[in-house]
Amino acid sequence: MATKLPFRLAYRSSIHCPRCLNRRPLHSTASKQAGIAAPPIDLNNLPPPNASNARIIPASPSYFTGLPDSTDKYLSLISLLRRYQTLPTVPPAQAPRVAWRTLIQYRLLVGEPVRASKYHKIIEVLQRLNRIHPSVLPAEVSTAMETYKREVDPYAVQKRPAIIDEDGRAFGVGRRKSSSAKVYLVQGEGEVLVNGKAINNVFGRIHDRESALWALKATGRLDKYNVWALVSGGGVTGQAEAITLGAAKALMVFEPALKPALRRAGCVTRDPRRVERKKPGHVKARKMPTWTKR
Amino acid sequence: MIIRNTFLRQGCRIATIPARQWTRCLATEVDLESIESSLDNSLKETKSIESEIQKQTDQLVPQIDSQTHASLNLLKDGTAQEHNKLQRHRKRTNALGSNIAPHYQPHTLVTRPPSPSDITLELLLASQAHLGHKTSHWHPMNSRYIFGIRQGIHIISLEVTAAHLRRACRVVSGVAERGGLILFVGTRPGQERCVVKAAEMAKGCHLFERWTPGSITNGVRLLGRCKTKVVDEFDQNVPGYENELKDHPVLKPDLVVCLNPLENWVLLHECGLNAIPTIGIIDTDADPTWVTYPIPANDDSLRCVQVIAGALGRAGEEGQRNRSEKAMAGNVTYTPTPLTSASKGGKSRTGGNTTDRYGSQ
Repeated sequence: MATKLPFRLAYRSSIHCPRCLNRRPLHSTASKQAGIAAPPIDLNNLPPPNASNARIIPASPSYFTGLPDSTDKYLSLISLLRRYQTLPTVPPAQAPRVAWRTLIQYRLLVGEPVRASKYHKIIEVLQRLNRIHPSVLPAEVSTAMETYKREVDPYAVQKRPAIIDEDGRAFGVGRRKSSSAKVYLVQGEGEVLVNGKAINNVFGRIHDRESALWALKATGRLDKYNVWALVSGGGVTGQAEAITLGAAKALMVFEPALKPALRRAGCVTRDPRRVERKKPGHVKARKMPTWTKR
Repeated sequence: MIIRNTFLRQGCRIATIPARQWTRCLATEVDLESIESSLDNSLKETKSIESEIQKQTDQLVPQIDSQTHASLNLLKDGTAQEHNKLQRHRKRTNALGSNIAPHYQPHTLVTRPPSPSDITLELLLASQAHLGHKTSHWHPMNSRYIFGIRQGIHIISLEVTAAHLRRACRVVSGVAERGGLILFVGTRPGQERCVVKAAEMAKGCHLFERWTPGSITNGVRLLGRCKTKVVDEFDQNVPGYENELKDHPVLKPDLVVCLNPLENWVLLHECGLNAIPTIGIIDTDADPTWVTYPIPANDDSLRCVQVIAGALGRAGEEGQRNRSEKAMAGNVTYTPTPLTSASKGGKSRTGGNTTDRYGSQ
């Protein structure tokens, strides 16, 4: 708040000219035009955009990558990670479970034919961001991750429990090569029927009969369960091995504690081997015709 | 399978027999390692049984926060408090101790790159720009850039490097000042950061992964889906010309800066075919005729590449600044692209020399 000053101490309207010692007005606008200075540069209040000085430029600096949207998303995630890389993290097993978009869903999101390798790079960055400790996770990071999440609650997906039905049967499916077997196990005396027939009639080889019931033999429960198997496709050995897997799965419904023993017995893993296709230039899948010098 | 893995059969039989019983069957010297491994096995067995039982029951499902999907134990375990405590402690104690300056901080080459006026022979030497390849791997056309030989490698003359780098910086700033599109390319691992930063400073484009061959010669197929925009002399977006943009041919860069020309021959060849000048870091084994403005330096050292990319980026930044200042003063430094307004019914046409491609004059 300014007090009113006496006239002499007020704003000076004239000064002594140092050269001629006369008094001259401090601000003389008699002969020179006022307001000649250009207005200050104001980048916020530019004139409206006009097309008279137009030029065409890329909308994104990733124009020449061919995948601008995907590249920009990757760069923004990487810069986010760099900013928050010193925050405490949790081991991967303790990080919140997230269903990230699949490759096809990600391609739909960006609208570009993104390669699987680039997609996996982005998922790696997202998984690292997801490992930031939840109590210090910045809001910026969680909003950035939302775009890449599938619209599904991963905790809502519950595996269907394998149960013993009202007739006391446990069910297991096994596959090997092109055979597939449906195996039912019940508490019993050790009877086995494959496609309605006795096992001796179905599998001529003792080896195949033994493989089919390997799950029960390895755990010493041949006399405790009855087996009813429906098997189709493939050949004899393939069908026998399919029953192995199916019977093992059904046995694990009755006794889950047997899983490590069955794994050591080789009954738990589905054998992924299939017949390899014939290739051009080869006689069979791998066999090549005889090499000739000329 | 005809031959069955016998261990699979015997192994499971052994596992069902108690450990004490089968160790008695072994020789008198008891093998400690096998006992330990069997103990490990039984521990694994117990853990897997535990996990199987856990799967069956509902009681041991961990509590989860419905919004963050994080385990409630994690949210209450005190990590946030510990982290804040650490931040406070650092804030208090960071300024203490001796200040060793100046010293090399690698990240500053990307976050605060040197400008063309900061380029000194000392900086280039420290960035290993003088280290060429083995003498037997050289390209003889580079002899004019080589200072000598030491320990079996060619040494690039740093005065020559500095001169060529300054020339390249002038080119970059000149192109930027005239509204040209500059493409920075660096496809080796680790060059991503400096390439992106340089492009950001020069308001150009970047490329840090493999160049798709044909992006310039066959741009209509490869880059047809990439969006473009119309801007005026102040870099403001001019809306309303989307149809024009669809008809406009695909953009080509006006200058290409390549940080590893040996891996990008196709790109440089395409630029040559389309009269696009190129700048490249030429090592002693590279062909200097592949680029228009070679910069003889070490392309294998990331530090050297970051210094050069940083300087070129800063030059581009200066050029853009000059262009903005001239635009403010009313001087448009580039030739504007004529855009017809046939797509916008009723709006007046722009420019005197515009030919309306839809026929109406």
